[in-house]
Amino acid sequence: MSLAARDLIKTNNNHRGTALVADDELSNRIILKSLLKKNGYEVIQAVDGADAVHKFSEKPTDMVFMDVMMPIMDGYESARKIKEISGEHFIPIIFLTAMTDEDALAHCIEVGGDDFLTKPLNHTLLRAKILAMERIRDLHRDLYQLYGRMQRDEEIAEQVFSNAVLAGNVAFEHIHSLSRPADIFSGDILLTSFSPSNDLNVLMGDFTGHGLAAALGALPVSEVFRSMSTKGFSPARILSAINEKLANMLPTGMFLAAQYVTISHDLDHITICNCGMPDLLILDGDNNSIKHRVISSALPLGIDSNLAFHDNVKVYFIKPGDRILLATDGVSEARNINGELFGQARIDEIVKTQNSDSFVLDTITKQLEEFCGNAPQDDDITAAEIPCISALFPKKELTRSASETPHTAEHVHSSNIGDDVDFNLTLRHGRLRDANPIPLLISYIQETAGLDEHRATLFTLLTELYVNALDHGVLGLSSDIKETSDGFTHYLQEREHLLSVLNEGSITIGLRIEPNKTGGKIIICVEDSGAGFDYKKERACTSNTALCGRGLMLIEELCESLEHNEKGNKVVAVYSWSN
Amino acid sequence: MAITSTVSSDGKDVTIQVSGRFDFSTHQDFMRAYKEHEKGENRFIVDLSEAEYMDSSAMGMLLQLREYSNKQSGCVTLRGGSGAIQEILRIANFGKIFTIE
Repeated sequence: MSLAARDLIKTNNNHRGTALVADDELSNRIILKSLLKKNGYEVIQAVDGADAVHKFSEKPTDMVFMDVMMPIMDGYESARKIKEISGEHFIPIIFLTAMTDEDALAHCIEVGGDDFLTKPLNHTLLRAKILAMERIRDLHRDLYQLYGRMQRDEEIAEQVFSNAVLAGNVAFEHIHSLSRPADIFSGDILLTSFSPSNDLNVLMGDFTGHGLAAALGALPVSEVFRSMSTKGFSPARILSAINEKLANMLPTGMFLAAQYVTISHDLDHITICNCGMPDLLILDGDNNSIKHRVISSALPLGIDSNLAFHDNVKVYFIKPGDRILLATDGVSEARNINGELFGQARIDEIVKTQNSDSFVLDTITKQLEEFCGNAPQDDDITAAEIPCISALFPKKELTRSASETPHTAEHVHSSNIGDDVDFNLTLRHGRLRDANPIPLLISYIQETAGLDEHRATLFTLLTELYVNALDHGVLGLSSDIKETSDGFTHYLQEREHLLSVLNEGSITIGLRIEPNKTGGKIIICVEDSGAGFDYKKERACTSNTALCGRGLMLIEELCESLEHNEKGNKVVAVYSWSN
Repeated sequence: MAITSTVSSDGKDVTIQVSGRFDFSTHQDFMRAYKEHEKGENRFIVDLSEAEYMDSSAMGMLLQLREYSNKQSGCVTLRGGSGAIQEILRIANFGKIFTIE
């Protein structure tokens, strides 16, 4: 109801509501009734306390006038019962009494009465009390409505929050997690998503403060995290994008501390960045010892929009069975009833004494509960333990190219492709150092042709082709280096060195998408500025155990056809699909 | 009072002394302490040696002060602080955007 409407009703003295008058004296009731009528109240009469309760429960009134001394049930008892019936609604009860005993008057208020009037009644005083009670009643009603609206809003927000932030999570059946918000909303987030190559990306974050204000930031973070993760962006790029978004969006002083983890699908290594969070632990699967302790090395996100995360992202080699323990400072800074902190040392001690076939987090959760007892919780508590096991990853076979192009289109020769591709992308010089064009190409394909179920394959295909062009073409690396026992490490070091000094060369990627009635094909053409490489030798190398040629074998396996030009610096791959 | 500020004799350095708990309850006082002084002109020093404890909202307040001063790295100096406070500043990598003494 608008204020104006309410004022209108107030000034209309004919309909201000109904009043219940409880008095065993008929004459008293008649006097009060006529006074109330003058003030715009309809009157219902009750002859004693019990009658008042009965009449009120049949038809609740807006106000109650109550005599104290009455037969059957006195005014005190009756008032208590009426307050009980009216529950959360505010129904003013005004006691009418001839008593001047202060204790008796105080008792009127104790049993739930809101005010009292002494007999004989004074009309001016009665009028004033009615106005005062109406004012309180209106305030009460506003508060009640606001509270209701707030609850409804919170419920809706909670639902949106769970749908948008939590529902998109993956691999949760294998991740043990602990989440204890200090409020309805948690300012902590735990997000998971797969990259196109099936690596598992995990982000655990802690916003400044807690409650709804802190939770608001979780929506844009989860959007950016998921969309970039499914397109295959690197951890550093995803963190930069979240950082930039938050820096532009959040008020100064609000930020997100975060632990970011990518677990490779072959359980070979994990990539970690710790931005302002407590230590992240990598536990040895054999004996639960702490294999690596990853301390915070970057600013929290949302403080400085121009931050690069490249140098803060670290790679650790793991083996299947190792575990990763992530936690917000809500765990180490949880307080017991004496104000003592739970502390990182306690967490380390639990890890040390835990046997390796059970989850460390379960013990932490138990001990944390015992430690904190009934102490008030200041901050959101979130932790997760991720076992590095193959069950984390979806068992998705890569799709293969349809064996022959459906709808007999003419065979495309590598020589006439470069001229008329639909999408052409050239990376030159320094851009080759840090650019990753694959996510862009994938999203182009998806926007043009959909092909959701082929995304993982196309991602692999494009990545292999691009990496070949960069490594063997532009950088001129020979895969012979890889063949020795520590050759692969040597190869990667050499690659990193060459990339860091790279200032010439180019790679052009062309995509042509040809859908037809029954399916279609994508022709991928990758050309580099290098001197060309001996693809014949590379392709002849078919043994599975050989360290070389794995890339090309994979490409040949996945696509319909693969052709190199004579020089070896241009390759055309055709991938077909049928609907 | 938990927050006091003093100005050096040449008028350039503003030292804000925080004592007791440095958390959201000190927000108003902390803001008042630096807003008394001209924006961007002064070198601000936050003395934490008497602070017992700081939480993430205190870190937020330091960032607000950094924005109020001219944002160049080093124009806000954080001085002193217990081991626990130093640890919090280290975890947040505040050394990258503040001068920590």
